[in-house]
Amino acid sequence: MTGPQRLIQRFIDQELSGEERIDLLTRIGRDQALREQLIDLEHLLVKVDRLARPAVPEGFVAGVIDRTAPEPKTFVVRRATEVLWMPRVFRWNFAGAMVAAGIALLAVAGVTTRVLPGLPIDRPGAMTPPAPATTAVLIRLVVLQPGARTVEVAGDFNGWDPTRTPLEQLSGGAWTVTLPLVPGRYEYMFVVDGKEWIADPFALEQSDDGFGSRNAVLDVRPPIESSL
Amino acid sequence: MAPGEAADDAALVRASQQGDREAFGTLVSRHASSIIGVTTRMLGPTPDAEDVAQETFVAAYKALSQFQFDAKFSTWLYRIALNKCTDVLRARRGETISLDVTDDDGETRWEPADHETPHCTLEQDELACELDRNIRALPPLYRESFVLRHVEGLTYDEMSAILGVHRNTLKMRVYKARNLLCQSLAHLDGVNRWKTTKLR
Repeated sequence: MTGPQRLIQRFIDQELSGEERIDLLTRIGRDQALREQLIDLEHLLVKVDRLARPAVPEGFVAGVIDRTAPEPKTFVVRRATEVLWMPRVFRWNFAGAMVAAGIALLAVAGVTTRVLPGLPIDRPGAMTPPAPATTAVLIRLVVLQPGARTVEVAGDFNGWDPTRTPLEQLSGGAWTVTLPLVPGRYEYMFVVDGKEWIADPFALEQSDDGFGSRNAVLDVRPPIESSL
Repeated sequence: MAPGEAADDAALVRASQQGDREAFGTLVSRHASSIIGVTTRMLGPTPDAEDVAQETFVAAYKALSQFQFDAKFSTWLYRIALNKCTDVLRARRGETISLDVTDDDGETRWEPADHETPHCTLEQDELACELDRNIRALPPLYRESFVLRHVEGLTYDEMSAILGVHRNTLKMRVYKARNLLCQSLAHLDGVNRWKTTKLR
């Protein structure tokens, strides 16, 4: 690049000082080729300045936003979520209901013996077995009796009174009650509609009641903290 | 871009970093025209140009957490867009874009690919179309410098921040580009179209 050409380029870029501008104007007044070069460049930049800017296509911004949306869950995760949160209606038969009740009872007993110690106990009457520990645990009994109007529980812990400990009805024919019991061994039966006595058929243990029926046996163990 | 708008950009970027997608949408709306302008000048009026522009914003969004605010958001976008344009041009050529067009070499054998040649219609300004075609016929290094300087109106310092090249090098590239364009458009003198515009 020659000196005059450098001046032209700097003129185009508007970088010339006042003296340099005078120098350039003097040169192009004497040099026709230099003058035409400058005019060509100015023509070029005028045309470039008038070039239309490409239009932003319709939907361009929305397209970008769509593409930056959070990644959808994979099929497996989405399907698992649907399965877990899908509302269901359970249809129970007696055997299935008893299995569920037994599992629920065991699960609740297992959990409550570890996490709910220390609650006061309403001590049973004369038939209350001796309790080796003074702390009580909450035991939740569950039974499925879809057609029942009332369900109560009678056992060692309430003097076998069939009216003293009613169960609360849940949806799906389930009935439940939560009892604070000190660790020990208890026998009990459910009383349906005030007249039908049934044992919990899936209790871990049953015993002969001496009258031709069998009672369910509940073995309440002390909380872990108490046993340490 | 006005200083206030740049500061506004920073606020929108911060909001976008916090997950405000509406703020990012505003940024896209604000800069879409510039980025599409650059990608179209670099790649021609092809679907590639729009795709690359979209990919530019998507890439920016994914990397927002890395934006350090030491440069303008627009500078960052231009850099991403031009890098993506380079990738497309390389793919089109089936080889690395020639980088041997040195700043001391005014000669070039670069020819635009056939699909880059625009099809001027009667409704279009033929001169503008010819100018567009010749800009796209520039070697990529000259082209990007010329587009940033004279189409986008950036300063050499801004261009240096975008391209990572010293401003004197950029000035030389722009100088070469101007001369190449003047040469390539000289034939239009014969039909009295090139110099019919009065200087401002």
